[in-house]
Amino acid sequence: MIYREAGQFKSSYASDQAVFPIRQDRVVVALGLVAAVIAVPLVADEYWLQAVLIPFLIYSLAALGLNLLTGYAGQVSLGTGGFMAVGAYSAFKLTGAFPGLNVLVAFLLAGLITALVGMLFGLPSLRIKGFYLAVATLASQFFLLWLFNKVAWFTDYASSGTITAPPRTVAGIMVTGPAATAEIRYLTALALVAVFAVIAKNLVRGRVGRSWMAIRDRDIAAEIIGVRPLRTKMLAFAISSFMIGVAGAEYVFLYLGSAETLAFDINVSFLVLFMVIIGGLGSILGSFLGAGFIVMVPIFLTNVPHLVGLAMPVALQKQIELMVFGGLIIFFLIAEPHGLARLWQIGKEKLRLWPFPY
Amino acid sequence: MLDLLNTALIGPLRDMGGSPAFLVEVIIGGLAAGLMYSLVALGFVLIYKASGVFNFAQGVMVLFAALTLVGLMERGAPLALALLATALVMGALAFAIERVVLRPLVNQEQIILFMATIGLNFFLEGLGELAWGSNVKRLDVGIPDTSFMVWGVQINRLELTAAITAAVMVAVIAVFFQRTRIGRALRAVADDHEAALSIGIPLNTIWIVVWAAAGLVSIVAGIMWGAKSGVQFSLSLIALKALPVLILGGFTSVPGAIVGGLIIGVGEKIGEVYWGPLVGGAIENWFAYVLALAFLLVRPQGLFGEKIIERV
Amino acid sequence: MNAGPTPLLEVDEVSVRFGAVQALEGVSLEIGRGEIVAIIGPNGAGKTTLLNVVSGFYHPSEGHIRFEGRDRTHLRPYDVAALGVARTFQNVALFKGMSVLDNIMTGRLLKMRGSFLLEALHWGPARRQELLHREFVERIIDFLEIESIRKAPAGKLPYGLQKRVELARALAAEPKLLLLDEPMAGMNVEEKEDMCRFILGVNDEFGTTIALIEHDMSVVMDISHRVIALDYGRKIADGTPDEVRADQAVIDAYLGVAHA
Repeated sequence: MIYREAGQFKSSYASDQAVFPIRQDRVVVALGLVAAVIAVPLVADEYWLQAVLIPFLIYSLAALGLNLLTGYAGQVSLGTGGFMAVGAYSAFKLTGAFPGLNVLVAFLLAGLITALVGMLFGLPSLRIKGFYLAVATLASQFFLLWLFNKVAWFTDYASSGTITAPPRTVAGIMVTGPAATAEIRYLTALALVAVFAVIAKNLVRGRVGRSWMAIRDRDIAAEIIGVRPLRTKMLAFAISSFMIGVAGAEYVFLYLGSAETLAFDINVSFLVLFMVIIGGLGSILGSFLGAGFIVMVPIFLTNVPHLVGLAMPVALQKQIELMVFGGLIIFFLIAEPHGLARLWQIGKEKLRLWPFPY
Repeated sequence: MLDLLNTALIGPLRDMGGSPAFLVEVIIGGLAAGLMYSLVALGFVLIYKASGVFNFAQGVMVLFAALTLVGLMERGAPLALALLATALVMGALAFAIERVVLRPLVNQEQIILFMATIGLNFFLEGLGELAWGSNVKRLDVGIPDTSFMVWGVQINRLELTAAITAAVMVAVIAVFFQRTRIGRALRAVADDHEAALSIGIPLNTIWIVVWAAAGLVSIVAGIMWGAKSGVQFSLSLIALKALPVLILGGFTSVPGAIVGGLIIGVGEKIGEVYWGPLVGGAIENWFAYVLALAFLLVRPQGLFGEKIIERV
Repeated sequence: MNAGPTPLLEVDEVSVRFGAVQALEGVSLEIGRGEIVAIIGPNGAGKTTLLNVVSGFYHPSEGHIRFEGRDRTHLRPYDVAALGVARTFQNVALFKGMSVLDNIMTGRLLKMRGSFLLEALHWGPARRQELLHREFVERIIDFLEIESIRKAPAGKLPYGLQKRVELARALAAEPKLLLLDEPMAGMNVEEKEDMCRFILGVNDEFGTTIALIEHDMSVVMDISHRVIALDYGRKIADGTPDEVRADQAVIDAYLGVAHA
């Protein structure tokens, strides 16, 4: 009864095309944003911010980027880790070379560099499709990581081979570095991912999104209709890599503090792909849901056994994590290939009819 | 400019020519490594040829087989018994995979099945570690890891045995697919699940058979690899490298898997030994993938694969 | 060749070969502006191949194709589409992951000049453009009477409606030449009548030139100005519906008289 759209008629195409056509949705989203910006920093403690919320926001951005490429444009990529590394190392070099540079601008420039690299490694997609492309993207993953490992210039010749986020302020507030509070870092990550989510949503419901989905669903027919494959795929790689690059920069600057190439290895690529699959391919919301889900699993496994009095050794936890991830992927692919986002939609549908069963 | 050419091209080539015996040894080393890749790729090809599924978890299956074998032997089982038990385990695994993963996904797009096998990969990795622990294990199959000299070139007994075993297996498999009735049925299944079902081919049985066969291949690969460098989790990463092998050799070709693996193995080794020092080493990490990528750009269907003709 | 205005489409001695298979051999034909031309022939005659070659998806091994007088034999499919050629497909190539509305909107892609930056912000010109195109597409939706399904996922529709949506998508491009590959396959009598009505309407109101592959002879007789018959990759007849129906070669082809 509450969740009904009766009485909400659309009198123009503009209102029909709005992102949240149903009034209840708008209310919920507005409330959610308020909660996220104001309530959370006040209520959440250090652990939750540092271990859950900040990585959630960062992974959401990476998942969003990958979802645009794989979920909307249909180009499977296993190179996410490598591209995050490009973003991270670019941001590191930029902030090192230009100490006066605003760190947010450094993030965006890092994203731009990653976009260019992404387009370069995305060129093969013009000839290769499906899992052939997936294997080809492994080339970028392994090569990029090897490059960052071998060429000491990237780490400013650090003997430890790690890059460390320098302390930087924005408008007088410490945003990165050891002095930056978790709340500030959280808000920064939130702002960035929110902006990119809006951009992604706008792209996806317009000309660009349609040309991506056309290529994904029937690339030959799309070409015959007039979609230009080169332009469309390159744009997908560019925008996707941009976001993934920014996420990579955030990963080091807002979350880890310092990292080496191991932080961006093939497992990260798989992890983000899982987020996209479980959350829902081709869904903006799904990227968030998937990221949240995957971030929560280890947290769950760390904390819940304590609650029920069982001791869980760390190694065992890792193994169960792997099994749970793998099992969930299979489960979702069988039960609901469109992931959590579709389950969410179904849930909303049921809510519309509630309390009637159908 | 000339200097660069000299270091990059002439230098390594001169090194190669300088000591031919060493070059031959490097090549043999490459062939041996390549053979390992081939064996893993063989498992892939079997499954793909017969069920059209691109089994990303093939590498992990190799690892799992090796782990089971070693685990049993560590608990005191003699080699023959352990082998039998492992074969049974892999058979049971094949059965479980078919039931739980493949059957519900029959006739979904390939990319969905591919992602399901990625999930399977992770699941088996966790399970393997859970069941058998994560430290490196030694695998002793009674063949000494020693070398003997032939015409001034060192040849390793273990590698030789692996090579012969692989050759025998390939021959058996090739004959099986081409000549027998079951082999024909398998090829029909790989082509089109639904069509095969509609003419009465017992899909489920076939899949179990094939995955079990791939499991057996995994056991052999796992043994050979494990005996050489110990059973550990980097095995699954190595198995990831079987993917470029498949690209070179084509997904549906048994000889292609072998040839592709050998090419990658030799290429990697030569690249690493002669060009590696120029760029700081570890070329092996990406060489295979970049080679596969270059190949795909020129010939998307691989050396032996079938040319893809698009229709509207 | 008549001494009238330049034909919209000229196919000149076109041959298409796939390895050892000769799909089309020395086919020549013309389609004038505003005509409705039906292409008939037994299965495997090369009809779809002909459409594919006109679309630019296949390139002829011999021969030329001219559109509005200019040679465009080796253009890529998207360039051919930009010239004003739209088509539907034998196996309904709708984008299954998108709604009906979005599918039809993809037909407008060629008319959309866009900067993705503006679109990312959904601001100003990008916003206005999207609305303008939406209005145009809604007129097509009205015309083809598919208002009620505009938000439905295209993959879930019954076959007949899918074909209608495909037609809508082709029309959205405002084509000069519309190529229809068996637009009425699998439809019942009512649906076929509707489709005929739409096709005639499109030709009447917008002056769109239409070439359609069709098996149903009554449809062919009813709506086409001219008929071209193919068999084994060669053109065997070209004339008015009545002429072609009486043509001996055509009758032989359909009744399966042995060929040399």
